Amino acid sequence: MTMAAIQDRSHADSGTGIVIDGVSHSYGSRHGSGVLALDNINLDIRENEFHALLGPSGCGKSTLLYLIGGFIPIQQGTIATRKGKVTAPGPERSIVFQNFALFPWKTVLQNIVYGLKKQGIGAAEAESRAREFINLVQLKGFENAYPSQLSGGMQQRAAIARTLAVDPEILLMDEPFGALDAQTRRVMQEELRAIWQRSRKTVVFVTHDVHEAVFLADRISIMSARPGRIQHVIDVNLPQDRGEEILERPEFLELSERIWRLVREQAISASRGEH
Amino acid sequence: MTSAGDGNTTVKLPAEALQGQRTSSAYRLALGDAGVQAAVILFLCVLWETVTRLDLVHPFLLPPLSQVLQRLWEDILSGTVFVDLALTLYRALSGFFIAAAIAIPLGVLMSRSAALRWFFDPLISVGFPMPKIAFLPIFILWFDIFDTSKIIMVAFSCFFPIVTATFAGTSAVDKWPVWSARSLGAKDREVLWEVVLPLASPQIITGLQIALPVGMITTVVTEMLMGGRGIGGTMITAGRFADSVGVFTGIVEIAFLGFVVIRSLEYIRGRLLVWHPESRR
Ligand SMILES: Nc1ncnc2c1ncn2[C@@H]1O[C@H](COP(=O)(O)OP(=O)(O)OP(=O)(O)O)[C@@H](O)[C@H]1O
Ligand SMILES: [Mg+2]
Repeated sequence: MTMAAIQDRSHADSGTGIVIDGVSHSYGSRHGSGVLALDNINLDIRENEFHALLGPSGCGKSTLLYLIGGFIPIQQGTIATRKGKVTAPGPERSIVFQNFALFPWKTVLQNIVYGLKKQGIGAAEAESRAREFINLVQLKGFENAYPSQLSGGMQQRAAIARTLAVDPEILLMDEPFGALDAQTRRVMQEELRAIWQRSRKTVVFVTHDVHEAVFLADRISIMSARPGRIQHVIDVNLPQDRGEEILERPEFLELSERIWRLVREQAISASRGEH
Repeated sequence: MTSAGDGNTTVKLPAEALQGQRTSSAYRLALGDAGVQAAVILFLCVLWETVTRLDLVHPFLLPPLSQVLQRLWEDILSGTVFVDLALTLYRALSGFFIAAAIAIPLGVLMSRSAALRWFFDPLISVGFPMPKIAFLPIFILWFDIFDTSKIIMVAFSCFFPIVTATFAGTSAVDKWPVWSARSLGAKDREVLWEVVLPLASPQIITGLQIALPVGMITTVVTEMLMGGRGIGGTMITAGRFADSVGVFTGIVEIAFLGFVVIRSLEYIRGRLLVWHPESRR
């Protein structure tokens, strides 16, 4: 990837993609002796693309999302979106955190309404939209429950609803279905894919599940073990409309198999590196 | 918006049903607690009365409970008890609220500004363990020998636990809800009001709950030292006249007032923190 290409993208005003250019990140020490989590990440996420990130645990996937989200300062390199360089969090880049991060003092409904009100939406409108998304994530009946009264999977769905409701241009999702049972997970995957097809946003989706990545994404990046690097970027050439039937298609199974092998390589080298 | 698929098999219990179950069992638990507490108090009362009736203790050292209650009843009929209770309560609560109004904002600001932290942290570390009552002569010199110095004395003693708890609570908030709010479009100032304060509220309320009995103690001690009306002052006067029934009547009044005030704050805590797991044992 040349610098010129990167420049072009970041200046294109119609794009809502994400240009990640030479980003490294280390934790712990500012003097360089800390843990290197990300090492020279270059990745060009296209506008309206559904991009999945796969990689072994601890390779820096969450860190990369936090950097894109603007939650932790970028130490080296740049990340740019249509709005320019990322320096702080913003509502056009909303995130579903790996640990849900709901507001514990607000009910499910109030959690979702909060984000909508921040977008300047009036109270009545915000509430009716919040209820729609509560239905979408199958939490009807729990509108007035507090997060501490919900199971992990229910909290996760509430967090997904809160983020989807604000309809961000860029949607960052950190293993958003990790706490769900297989059934609910499948329903949520289909819903997410449908929402993405309807609203055409740029999605960066972190997961451990190869089938999930292949089912959802247009492109999949496979990261190496720590320090995280982008090892492969793979196109998913499957039809845009994906229903359950696609899971049995030979192309789907073949691609999943190929990606699974690549991921396993990284995981194996990770476990070797640790001994 | 498409609705969720019909093939959904997740089990759903209406939240209301869960809530109903929980409150009724918590209610029964609370009733049980209250029953045990009442029984303990009743036992102590009976013990007090029996010991004095059997002449095991000299009635001057410990007058029978029945006499104390009788005096209390007379004071209620004459209204003096209400004057004392109201004065003591007024001083304790004024001092407490003044302290809260200063200590909570200061604790929040200290967690936000390094300069304020550097300035106030040593002062608080030195001041907290000091016997606050030692400052009473200073306040009497600076202010008056009436309510002002009493209330300032109370505020001064309540200040430290509140500021310490607020500072600890607001400086150690979980980063995740803060990040969520920022990601949903909240600005820095909004994050303080809408996220940091609610998150720190359990600790701030704990600080208030520690400060309130401290304030009650300081009020009574100050009244005893400075004389005048109020429960402490009336007790000291009774003591000077060797009126042991009067002294013990004061003790009963303090116990009653303390109980009511502290239970009220506990109730308010439960109301404010319905969302907190602590609210449903
Ligand atoms: N706050 C932190 N302080 C120090 N080191 C950290 C911190 N957060 C993460 N790390 C380190 O950075 C590396 C990357 O962490 P990160 O959470 O981004 O991994 P991940 O790919 O999201 O893992 P997982 O799949 O398990 O969620 C980890 O190996 C961890 O040791
Ligand atoms: Mg992670």
